[in-house]
Amino acid sequence: MQLSKRKKLEIIVEAPVLRRVETFLAEAGVRGWTVLPSLAGAGDSGEWRSGDFTPGQEKRLIFALVTTEVADRVLARLADFFADYPGVVAVSDVEVMRGEKF
Amino acid sequence: MVDSLQLALTNLLTPAILFFLLGFGAGWFKSDLAVPEGAAKTLALVLMLSIGFKGGVEAARAGLSPDFLKAAGVGLTLSFGIPIIAFGVLKVISRLDRTTAAATAAHYGSVSIVTFVAGTEFLRISGVPFGGYMVAVVALMETPAILSALILAGGGAAGRQGLRGELFREVALNGSVVLLIGAFIVGLLSGDAGMSKMEVFVGPVFQGVLVLFLLDMGLVAARRLSAARSLTLPLIAFAICMPLLSSMLSLGLSLALGLSPGNAAVLAILAASASYIAVPAAMRIALPDADPGVYLTLSLAVTFPFNLVFGIPLYTAATAALIG
Repeated sequence: MQLSKRKKLEIIVEAPVLRRVETFLAEAGVRGWTVLPSLAGAGDSGEWRSGDFTPGQEKRLIFALVTTEVADRVLARLADFFADYPGVVAVSDVEVMRGEKF
Repeated sequence: MVDSLQLALTNLLTPAILFFLLGFGAGWFKSDLAVPEGAAKTLALVLMLSIGFKGGVEAARAGLSPDFLKAAGVGLTLSFGIPIIAFGVLKVISRLDRTTAAATAAHYGSVSIVTFVAGTEFLRISGVPFGGYMVAVVALMETPAILSALILAGGGAAGRQGLRGELFREVALNGSVVLLIGAFIVGLLSGDAGMSKMEVFVGPVFQGVLVLFLLDMGLVAARRLSAARSLTLPLIAFAICMPLLSSMLSLGLSLALGLSPGNAAVLAILAASASYIAVPAAMRIALPDADPGVYLTLSLAVTFPFNLVFGIPLYTAATAALIG
């Protein structure tokens, strides 16, 4: 089976700024992504679970597969954004099927 | 004095307050009692729809009164002004950084719709009449405090990062406010004929929903309080004294403008209340550096229970003494 090397982006942001980050992805040329809800976690602001009352702090995970060139553009834009807003960005090397789609 | 005590006791023994206290106790002692998240959101929708609609029908019945414009003026002034006072007080009594102090101040200038609902229910059982249009005043008082806080904080991340659109959406198109005002307009347009179709839903059903909602609020507030890490004694004192100060300011303005006792009481309750849904969400966009551990805990876990149990009868008694 033919596999292609791509970058996997995993970005965690708070729900109210999700749309803005999605705009960055579109502008950087990301062709597709998936957003997932979060159930529980812990961090600087303590431990939280789904159902806790935390308006505006609900987390979303954005998952995207991109080429190295697109990943660089996304990261450059996010570096500036995350100077002000909380979030997590992880980039990893992956191999994907149907690489022409990403 | 006997009257005030009687009022306080009447409030304390309503099912709404007793269920809130039940939820608070269960949350504090870590019971697994919970209202499922989706159900809690549905309950909130029923509350917004019911009070908006009832307010609209009452406003249609009474027609536009000059008191509405006065009440709106007082409400807007308080929402803009209270954050400035709250910010000054916080800077003196605490070591909060400027951004967290400004964000906290915004919560106290804005309003809690649930406190409004509980307050107006209390006024109804106490036989104090007020204008249905006060629902519209609630909506007016949500936003100006956020603008004041942005000025106090010296601007925010939203402007720098081009998130003004998101901030506007969160504040002005916030689902609760859209439904509240939408239902108010529906009530205004459909009047008594509409009420005859809706009365079971916005009457008896509403009471049950309010009780369940407050049970959940009790659980949420107690869990928040027991998990609080950044509360200090001066901050807790602020969360109790600021509502007292705001309600007195509001009563002073109402007295000066000659508002009716009922509307003045509603305004005093609104001035004392602190937002814990719309403003916290807006602050995550506008001032993401501010600490929710401070502002949300103070408004939700200290001020809200205080107002619900003690504040509402107190502001009502103070209004009666000053204006009634």
